[in-house]
Amino acid sequence: MPAIRHASKRKPPPEGFSDIEDDLLIFANKMKDAQNKPSPAGPKHQAQWEVFQIAHQRSRYVYDLYYKKEAISKPLYDWLLKNGYADAMLIAKWKKQGYEKLCCLRCIQTKETNFNSTCICRIPRAQMKEGQDIQCFSCGCRGCASSD
Amino acid sequence: MLKSTYQRADAAAPEALPPGWTEHKAPTGHTYYYNASTKESTYKRPSAQPEAPSIVPTYGPNLSDPSVANAYVAQFNPPPAQQSHRGGFGAGRGGRGGYEGRPKPAPIDKPVKKEPIPGHEPWILVYTKYSRRFVYNPVKKTSFWRIPEKLMPGILELDKERIRRKSGNETDPKSAEPETAEAEEATVQRKEETPTAAPEAYDSSEYEEVEVTDDEDEEGHASKRQRTDDAAPEEEEEPVEFTEADIAAQLQAMGTDYGLEPGDYDDGNMADWPEGAEGVEFSEEDAKLLFKDLLDDFRINPFSPWEKLIEEGRIIEDQRYTALPTTRARKECWDEWSREKIAAQKEQRAKQEKKDPRIAYMALLQEKATPKLYWPEFKRKYKKEPPMKDLNLSDKDREKAYRDLVNRLKTSQATRKTELTTMLKSLPLHVLNNRSLADGLPTQLLVDPRYAALEPSIRDGLIEAYVQGLPPPPDNVEDAKAASDEREKREKRTKALEERNRVIDEEKRQRERDIARGKARLRDGERDIEMAMAVDKTGLRRQLEDAA
Repeated sequence: MPAIRHASKRKPPPEGFSDIEDDLLIFANKMKDAQNKPSPAGPKHQAQWEVFQIAHQRSRYVYDLYYKKEAISKPLYDWLLKNGYADAMLIAKWKKQGYEKLCCLRCIQTKETNFNSTCICRIPRAQMKEGQDIQCFSCGCRGCASSD
Repeated sequence: MLKSTYQRADAAAPEALPPGWTEHKAPTGHTYYYNASTKESTYKRPSAQPEAPSIVPTYGPNLSDPSVANAYVAQFNPPPAQQSHRGGFGAGRGGRGGYEGRPKPAPIDKPVKKEPIPGHEPWILVYTKYSRRFVYNPVKKTSFWRIPEKLMPGILELDKERIRRKSGNETDPKSAEPETAEAEEATVQRKEETPTAAPEAYDSSEYEEVEVTDDEDEEGHASKRQRTDDAAPEEEEEPVEFTEADIAAQLQAMGTDYGLEPGDYDDGNMADWPEGAEGVEFSEEDAKLLFKDLLDDFRINPFSPWEKLIEEGRIIEDQRYTALPTTRARKECWDEWSREKIAAQKEQRAKQEKKDPRIAYMALLQEKATPKLYWPEFKRKYKKEPPMKDLNLSDKDREKAYRDLVNRLKTSQATRKTELTTMLKSLPLHVLNNRSLADGLPTQLLVDPRYAALEPSIRDGLIEAYVQGLPPPPDNVEDAKAASDEREKREKRTKALEERNRVIDEEKRQRERDIARGKARLRDGERDIEMAMAVDKTGLRRQLEDAA
């Protein structure tokens, strides 16, 4: 178990954290609410969808700030990743071609599916039947192919 | 710009309410009517006659459909000043958050005529009051503003037909209104075919045409003209398979779905738009700038995600939100704006000198510190204060400063005064000078516990008196420093030169002296030799004489 560090002994976060602190707090609150909510009446697998969504949104937020807008510094970005504000593995996928909009890591984990295939949400809209509306099993994604 | 289709309430129905009814304003701004006796409330203005046949035709809108109902209600409650602004109503696709529940005032466009499209039988081309048109399939119950490719030839055929007919019989002067694109098309067409082609060239059995005038005062008085004689009489009232209400609902749904005015989307026949539908000359730059202004005005944090902006929904209510037609465009604009904003902020911060976190903390201590509280107590009591939460100042430093200050507070005032004076005297002139009061006291002074230890009432007078006695600051601290450095160096150089000169002179003198000494020695030698040479033979002769 890692040592519990007292707030007073902690190092301050890198420069620029105060700019994004409020937004990150909003995400944190949303996440807490989603986690503490009694699970919905529907199918069991849907219980975690909201958590996945919020995690995705928050990672996307950090990713956009660092890679797209260049609004935060490298030390701050590293600090955010280290402190669990964003999912580094997911961001690593977003940097790859074809995975720019990936919803969650579970959806490309082929070993966990019966036919060693990716999730339905990875299929481009163009290849789906007309008007077919899907929501993927693992995170409730409605389609995250790069071409959509 | 869409012409207003709303009937002003005062102009349309100034008639008194029937007894028992009272008029009220809903929180949304709509007026509604309430009958205290029957406990009945309605948006519709109740008139003396139970049914209002003047407004509600036999095929009155189906009020169970919310969009129709909204449009219907909007007829009676024109929103103020909506006419002069472009796109005041549509929240667009981005307007999901916080905008529901309120009926959107939408333009009331009505279908006025329809034509079956030859060759594509279930499809109907529907013309609206504002000369927009869309295709409708009553079998599949689908409709499109944008005409699908497969229907294009049929519709082209229809257009040609209409123009040919127009040129054939110029009965209605208003039908000669310019329709540029189609007119051009027609001129091409006339070269190929004779203009006297029969109007009934296409294989349509039933065809009802309604001549529309764009004049809104004559709304509802469109003259109907039965062109074919084999249409059933009951079809005149209930025209085809779907009622006007259906089409109205269809239109409404489409319009509000996209949150657009006719000018906002391209329905393929731009010439058919009512004039002004494109809006006043309004370039894309203007729209972007307007949207950026909106973001500025609402003090949006440029670091916040777009979703948060939409969820909050504050900006959606603003008129400028619709300056950009699509949510995608808005998002792009926001993206651009936030980049600019962040860059500007960065630049500004780089310029701005860093504020010492200790200043705020010492100010807090000045106010709250008391010898009655130990540090842990003080910390617990004021943990909500922002200087206590500042992460840039470590807790250790905070504690140290607090203990120091409290210890000082325990001493007598006279001691603290003298301490402050010695502290002031120790500050160099470029830090503290007679301009310090106007520019703000130096950080060095503000963070000092000796400064905070004295009550402001006594301290300020003391500092003021001391500072006024000081000379002005050296012009610019850095420049002055550089200049003094330079001077020092020069002095050093000159001193070095002098030293060297002195040394050289000394050497020279030494050499001269040496030379002189050498010459003197030489002279001595010469004299000795001379003297030796000058020895004459007298001595020898005397010797010889003596010997002899």
